[in-house]
Parts: sequence; structure tokens; C-alpha cells
Amino acid sequence: MKMTKTDETALEDVFARIRAEDVPVRDALLDRIMLDADTVLAERQQTTPTASRPGLGAMLLDAIGGWPSFSGLAAATVAGVWIGVAPPDAIGNLSASIWGGTIEVPLLESDALLGLEG
Amino acid sequence: MSHALNDQTDAELLAAFAGGDRAAAMILTHRLTPRVVAQAKRMLGNQADAEDVAQDAMMRLWKIAPDWDADRAKVTTWLYRVVANLCTDRLRKSGRAIDLDAVAEPADDTPSVQANLQDAARADALRTALADLPERQAQAVSLRHLEELGNPEIATIMDTNVRTVESLIARGKRALIAKLSGRKAELGYEDDQD
Repeated sequence: MKMTKTDETALEDVFARIRAEDVPVRDALLDRIMLDADTVLAERQQTTPTASRPGLGAMLLDAIGGWPSFSGLAAATVAGVWIGVAPPDAIGNLSASIWGGTIEVPLLESDALLGLEG
Repeated sequence: MSHALNDQTDAELLAAFAGGDRAAAMILTHRLTPRVVAQAKRMLGNQADAEDVAQDAMMRLWKIAPDWDADRAKVTTWLYRVVANLCTDRLRKSGRAIDLDAVAEPADDTPSVQANLQDAARADALRTALADLPERQAQAVSLRHLEELGNPEIATIMDTNVRTVESLIARGKRALIAKLSGRKAELGYEDDQD
């Protein structure tokens, strides 16, 4: 079997023929590729966590300085309530010294209302 | 499509796309797709298959965008490699074999028509032989002789050195000639009298 051209030249001719082929780029292909890009963008936006707006509770917490401040505030409130319920003697003595003794003020004129007097 | 975006490099556009810029993807699509689909068509010989490979390669580009390292590789280099890999995979899976009978009996048997058919048969035979080569030889030969890239660029694409590329191309071409030599008669080489 005889080839009139050298094998290498024959091979190069075929490569050249392939290189010369027309390769159209159709709009439909560009559209498909952009559709893929849009899909990837949408998926990425769904998986990326977005910063949500803080709620009212979070904003109030921020206003007082966060959780550390809140716990201090809570402790002070509890202490205040307890002092009001069961004041230490020192507190009672202090108020007496300021106000000059116990003052009794009837809220209702109960005796008069019941006609016990006179 | 803004003029400023058009002036940006592929890597800059890819970074912009990773940041959510759709216009950057549009420019990359128009800039890169012609080259990608042409490379695939030259290797596969079929427009529909070439478009599938082009779409697949570009999809991989969109997905890799957030992790793209501009210092490591050029976008076009990366695409050459991806397309070459996708095409050799596709050729192997298809187990393609040219059907010379389908082109042996033209409706019009004028010399020019016959010559065109013979050219097409030879091109198809070459692609089939290329698909039978070891993968790296097929990639090196196609990048050199179908894409006409220089050996240094091929070495970069294939992540190897120039000497290895030269060796792959030489061995690949010898193997192609050996495969095609057995089909000289059916490909009409005996009729080519100079």
C-alpha cells in the first residue's frame, strides 16, 4: 500500500481541514449558558445567610448594653424588691431618724363611718 | 453591559460574578464561549455534542468562581484543560467509530463532492484515532495541532513540562499515523496521486 504524500504531511492536511471547519456560536447556546449562570447565582444567594433586621427585644437589649448589663439590672431589681419586702433594721431606724418617728395616717375614716364615736 | 466591565480581565470578571454581578457573567459568556465551543467541535466533530461540552465547561466555571485563584492559572488555560478532558471522556464513552458506508455513496458523484466527503471521512477517522490514544497524548496532540498552541502553553495547561509535551505529541502522532495507515484504502489515500 503506497501513499503519495508522506504520512506526516497527510496527517497535517487532515488537521488543517479540521481547523478550517466553521464553528457557529448559536444564540441558543449563549442563552443556555447564561441560564446556568443565573441558576448558580440564585443558589449562591439562597445558601449565603443574609443579615436579618434585629427585633424589638434585641434592640432594647442593645440599648441597655447587652446581656451583661441586663443581668446586672435584673440583680439590682431583685435586691430592691427584697429590701422593700423585708427591710433591714438599719433601714427602718434610718427612716425614723429622718421622719422623726412613726406617723399613722388613716386611709379611711372607718370609726366615723361606722358611727362608733359620739 | 458597561464599558468598564468590558475592559476587565477574565479573572476580574469571574471575581465580579462570584460577588453576584450578572453582567460580568454575560461578558464572560460572549468572550469565552466561541473559543470553548470551537475547541470541542474540533475534537468531537459534532456541533450538538460540542455545545453540550461548552455548556458543561462554562457551568464548571460558574461553580468554581468563588474559589478561583487568579494567581494559579489563567481562565482560558483552565478552560482548555476542562474542555480537552470533557471531550476525551465523551469520545471514550461513545466508543465512536466512523460509518464510512454512510459517506461512500454520494447522491452527487462529481469530483468536488467526492473530495469533500473524503475530507470529511478523513477528519472523522482522525478524530476516532485520537479518541483511541492514551488520554494525555490525545490532549497534547489536539492542543498542538487543532488549537495550534505553543508547547510551553500546552505544558501549563497539562501541568507538566515542555519536554514531556514534546514527547507526548511525538508519540501521539506516530500512533495516529499507525492507526490511519491501516485505513489508507478506505480513506482514499491511494487515489491521491501527485
